[in-house]
Amino acid sequence: MIELSELFFYFFTVMVLGIGCIVAFSQNLLRSAFALFFVLFGIAGFYVLLGGDFLAVVQVLVYAGGINVLLIFGTMLTADVATPESSNISFQSVLTIVAGAGIFFLLLFIINSAEWPIVTQEMVPTTKHIGRLLLKEYILPFEVISFLLLASMIGALVLVNKGDQR
Amino acid sequence: MSLSGYLAVSIALFTLGTIMFISRKNTIAILMGVELVLNAAALNFMAFSKFTQSQASQLDGQIFAIFIILMAAAEAVVALAIALSVYKEFKQILANKLVSLKG
Repeated sequence: MIELSELFFYFFTVMVLGIGCIVAFSQNLLRSAFALFFVLFGIAGFYVLLGGDFLAVVQVLVYAGGINVLLIFGTMLTADVATPESSNISFQSVLTIVAGAGIFFLLLFIINSAEWPIVTQEMVPTTKHIGRLLLKEYILPFEVISFLLLASMIGALVLVNKGDQR
Repeated sequence: MSLSGYLAVSIALFTLGTIMFISRKNTIAILMGVELVLNAAALNFMAFSKFTQSQASQLDGQIFAIFIILMAAAEAVVALAIALSVYKEFKQILANKLVSLKG
């Protein structure tokens, strides 16, 4: 009898890796941008299985709702979506795929041969503890990352506006 | 599911992202590959946070995954701004044709 969480693990694995192959190898850039959406949802499912309820919601909100929409906008604003050649895979791609498969099997061999001293934690709600950690132990990285977000926002505005001044 | 199952999914995703940002020509496709790699790293941190031994620092991996997501947001915003202004200047964003610094 297979456990329900294991069933969901295999479901999300097939979803993430199968649609991830579409993202990586699709000739149409817009199609891979939309496929990336489902990959990010699958990752959020993995976060739920790993007991990170807050992280799963953040993943859906920030990644799938924010970054991916931004990527789709960028695709539509710049690429010639109608011509697949604008996002074509270059000629070294066969070599790249072979090298990537080599890296994959090397890393798989390493993680299978390593000894992991693991214990399984029970699942508890994490939001309260994450909030407490972010405002106590991790207050400095929290402030630094908020400053980074502000700086990147201003930087993006400056970069996009720069061409108009000529 | 054990830790190595999650790690295997994570390295498969990392490999897909690496293949993508090496073999694609479009700058935005390269950025998508970087997003896949960042997601693989965050999944790794989440898996180690679930299966960690120390009770005190159980949520450290999740905190790190939050920071990865926020950094990815900042990076995507700046990279897309660069891509848009490059597109304004050169009318295309294929990485193999942007050679004006080559001299």
